[in-house]
Amino acid sequence: MNRREFLASTSVVTLGLGLVLTSGLPARAADSEAVIVLSSSEAGAPNQDPIRATLLSLASNLIYDRLVEQDDDQSYHPHLAESWETGADGMSWTFKLRQGVTFHDSEPFNAAAVAWWIGKYKGSPNEYMTAAIDRVEIVDDYTVRFVMKRPEPNLIFNLAQQFMGIPSPKSYEASGDSYGVTEAIGTGPYKLESFVVGQETVLVANEDYAWGTDLSENRAAPHIKRLTLREIPDSSTAFLELKTGGVGMLSSVPDEFLPQLQKEKQVGFRNLPGIGVTYLNFNSQSGAFADATMRQATALAIDQSAVLKSVYSGAGREAHQFLISSLAESKVDPQFEIHHDLDKAKKLLDQTGWINGSDGVRTKDNKRLRIKLWTRSETEFRRTAEIVQAQLKVLGMETEIVTFDNTTLRDQLRKGEHELVVSHYDWNNADILDWFYSAKNIPFPNSAMWNDAKSEELHDIAMLQSKNWDERVANFKKYQEYLLSQYAFAPLHEPAQNTAYNKDLLEVPERIRGPQFGQPTIVDMKTVQ
Amino acid sequence: MFLFIIKRLVLLVPVFFVVSLVVFLIIHLVPGNPIDNLMRAGSSSAQRVQIAAKYGLDRSLAEQYFVWMSRLMTGDLGTSIIQGRPVGALIARNLPYSLQLGGAALLFSALTGITAGVLAASFHGTRLDDGISGLILLGSTVPSFWLGLLLILVFAVWLGWVPISGARGWTSLILPVIATGVGGIALVARVTRIAMIETARQDFVMLLHAKGLSPLVIQLRHVLRHALVPVVTILALRIGWILGGTVTIEYVFARPGLGSLLIRGLNQRDYPLVQACLLMLAMAVILGTLIGDIVQAAMDPRQREERP
Amino acid sequence: MRAVRAMPMLKAIASVKGSIAGLYLLFLIGGALFAPWLSPYPYDQQDLTIMNQPPSLTHLMGTDEFGRDVLSRMITGARTSLSVSVTAIGVSVLSGLILGAACGYFGGAFDRVVMIGVDLTWSFPEILIALMLVAIIGPGLQGVVLAIAIAYLAQFTRLTRTQVMVLKGETFVEATVNLGAGHTHILFAHLLPNALAPVLVAAMLATGDAIILEATLGFFGLGAQPPTPSWGAMMSSGTAQLFIAPWVILLPGLAVALTVIFLNLFGDAIITALDIRTKLREA
Repeated sequence: MNRREFLASTSVVTLGLGLVLTSGLPARAADSEAVIVLSSSEAGAPNQDPIRATLLSLASNLIYDRLVEQDDDQSYHPHLAESWETGADGMSWTFKLRQGVTFHDSEPFNAAAVAWWIGKYKGSPNEYMTAAIDRVEIVDDYTVRFVMKRPEPNLIFNLAQQFMGIPSPKSYEASGDSYGVTEAIGTGPYKLESFVVGQETVLVANEDYAWGTDLSENRAAPHIKRLTLREIPDSSTAFLELKTGGVGMLSSVPDEFLPQLQKEKQVGFRNLPGIGVTYLNFNSQSGAFADATMRQATALAIDQSAVLKSVYSGAGREAHQFLISSLAESKVDPQFEIHHDLDKAKKLLDQTGWINGSDGVRTKDNKRLRIKLWTRSETEFRRTAEIVQAQLKVLGMETEIVTFDNTTLRDQLRKGEHELVVSHYDWNNADILDWFYSAKNIPFPNSAMWNDAKSEELHDIAMLQSKNWDERVANFKKYQEYLLSQYAFAPLHEPAQNTAYNKDLLEVPERIRGPQFGQPTIVDMKTVQ
Repeated sequence: MFLFIIKRLVLLVPVFFVVSLVVFLIIHLVPGNPIDNLMRAGSSSAQRVQIAAKYGLDRSLAEQYFVWMSRLMTGDLGTSIIQGRPVGALIARNLPYSLQLGGAALLFSALTGITAGVLAASFHGTRLDDGISGLILLGSTVPSFWLGLLLILVFAVWLGWVPISGARGWTSLILPVIATGVGGIALVARVTRIAMIETARQDFVMLLHAKGLSPLVIQLRHVLRHALVPVVTILALRIGWILGGTVTIEYVFARPGLGSLLIRGLNQRDYPLVQACLLMLAMAVILGTLIGDIVQAAMDPRQREERP
Repeated sequence: MRAVRAMPMLKAIASVKGSIAGLYLLFLIGGALFAPWLSPYPYDQQDLTIMNQPPSLTHLMGTDEFGRDVLSRMITGARTSLSVSVTAIGVSVLSGLILGAACGYFGGAFDRVVMIGVDLTWSFPEILIALMLVAIIGPGLQGVVLAIAIAYLAQFTRLTRTQVMVLKGETFVEATVNLGAGHTHILFAHLLPNALAPVLVAAMLATGDAIILEATLGFFGLGAQPPTPSWGAMMSSGTAQLFIAPWVILLPGLAVALTVIFLNLFGDAIITALDIRTKLREA
């Protein structure tokens, strides 16, 4: 082979390879299909197995149904369970199951399937969701009774979670470890056609579907026959795709694009209450923030409205306590809420002996008030950190921003060397307080290192001694009010969930039902003819 | 020649082990671990231990390396901790996209670069030479992600000629190929131009001119042929770059590929995935260098004696 | 020989391209050095009432998402970007000189082992090396400096090695050996000084590439910690901004391109003046 032949052959190989590969890629199908871009928080969901997964995407919300569904006002609605009742002592739950439901593999859904399904959670990462259930009794083919180890009013919440989708026992057992990767069989309105981690999931309508919930108009098979869920890591690219019609919908719009999208005539919006809160996490064990007054001054120096305006373009709402505002537990006594009060913050620091120096930074015993401000590297958190930095500068506190990727940040928090951290969680239940502030979770996830006798006592009451939902709400309120009074954190912002769609391509119902954009809304969506 | 190739191939074995050790140590040196990425609100520490045991993360580093290597010898790249699929399957899925983009970009920069280089050399010292050199220089000084964003803005948004992102069909390949390839053009063009100018000064070319061959024929048939030796060498060195060098562009255009697979794996500390990908990249580059050497040796016999 | 070496600089500046490029670079370095005095506003001064404003008389390059003055951030950003690139290339050149000289001089197994290691750094995309280094060393500029230094290590090592190998065979070195000089003396007094010129020119060209690499790493959020600006970091907070306030991302990109072009032109002018093109290509 001489060199000309060599060159020629390599180029032919490259060209040929390119052509073969291109022709093998999926082409667009013709009618009634839609492309939805997944939210970045669901990006990289590795499988569609609700029992073993720790991260699920919208796809599994559509492939599986749950016993009950939750609405955005946190009320519960029947789905695969037609009705349920709780024993007076909270020690048993009885569910009447819907009849005539079949899995995508034509297997029937019945009491035996439920009993098998609850049993599968043992030893799984999601075991805690069913941990309070002692055993499942099959009363008849379509009635099951959960016998409890302890009263757990929160069970109803757990059952409505995406992680409590019910897979087909037959397919699940047959597929073994590969379940959720190569196949996923549920009873939901869509069937899995193909799934590429980090890229896209293709779903097709389940034409047999006839058991939709009262959250949707359409209770039969979905209008859109073919649904492609894509992941697009760069949000500006996603934004452009929506604008030009490359995709029909963004299930979650980054706030910085809102003003821009609102200018586009063909783009429609739907808003949902947020399911997460951004806050400042103090290390309460070491350094400056072991002192409650320092925590209080810092919390009061923050003007939440600046974060709302600059980082989130006015979308979402200011956070003045720790929980998302759609939870009843968030309605604490207003006197405990944390609001911007710079003068008071300054006075508090003056009293503790931190005196303003000539360069605007406070000092005490010749020590400068210099704080490490850690943040995750995503744009919104980095920007939030920059706002916080500017505001604390006014207070006379000098901060040094350090950005970490999320995995490294978790590792760093375990070491306990942090002082002030821009943090965020997504969780629509008050038990997030247990996760972040109970002493048993030190050093992680309780990276606030929060350990306080009164707090522990209120925590135990809320978590273990609430007999019913109302009692649980009251107990969690008291628990949170105490944490607020101790300035265990400084709340910043409650981002809204913004969904945007291309009006030329899709029709979306006026109101989005459910705590997040998902099944109840999607079955009602139509393509524009 | 045959002996030369065999000798070089045998030398690859120790290199492979060194590379694998370096790759293994680097990823384990990075703080953080994959388990955290598998846990979420509510999981207990017992589950942590269980997951660690399942993936052998509770054993010593030496043991973990040994297990990895012995599996590798049987052709098993391991299973991704986060994604739960065989690493081999994950790479097989993403590799074609990288080859497509990288190959097309390499072809694009090679063809454009050689053409530009030949033109510049043929009109050496004229305005055209200056103009071409200037344009090429301009192209190589723009960050590729920035160029990518601008291309999206102009051709996908304003003009609507091509898709903005993704990897559906060949049209979605156009912008990424340009954004990736432009930087390479400068290199190829420069090398071609200089090699052509210098070859043209050699005695045998003078002889050809003296024989009365047309300048065009001499330029394309003889001068270019000789000038291509360094160009091919440079292209061979860029094989690894085809596979992993397109990370930035994959990110901007939301394309699948080895680069984005690796970045995600790295962010989640998915050890088996990152190790396999890095090892593959490194070996591809080493093989690329080897191919470059062999090509050079084939064209220029002196190389065989000079290089061990 | 020493007296001659200062001449090419002057010769380079005397050419048209060289003088324009030199002037730009001088201006840029001056701007970076005196950034705090030249900036019209403090680079970190936020004013949320004037967010994302287009260029105007009060803010010549507009404002960013926090209402900060983009011109001031560009000037301070030049300081960060230049110092990162120059430091990184400096580290790279120094290590490359030492490794390359040792390899070229001693040869044999030592040469082979070191070169395998050095070539390895070529195998991985720079972004990945940077991501891992930053994770290991911790966030900030050090990781990025090191990553850029590693990215160019192979180039400088190979260049020096070839120079030294060629020089080693020359008669004046053999004569020195015969006179009984030690390894260190020969390396530092005779070989390195003669190998230096092409390496330094290559370093100037590589500084341009390093600026691009710094911008790319900044785009990925690596490097300068907020509020410190660098041209790359400015573009990372500007991705979404491309559509809201395009100047925030367009201007740093232009600055990068301009600087790299002029660095290249200046480097070219020096190469021509020094007449070392052949030497550079041998590597």
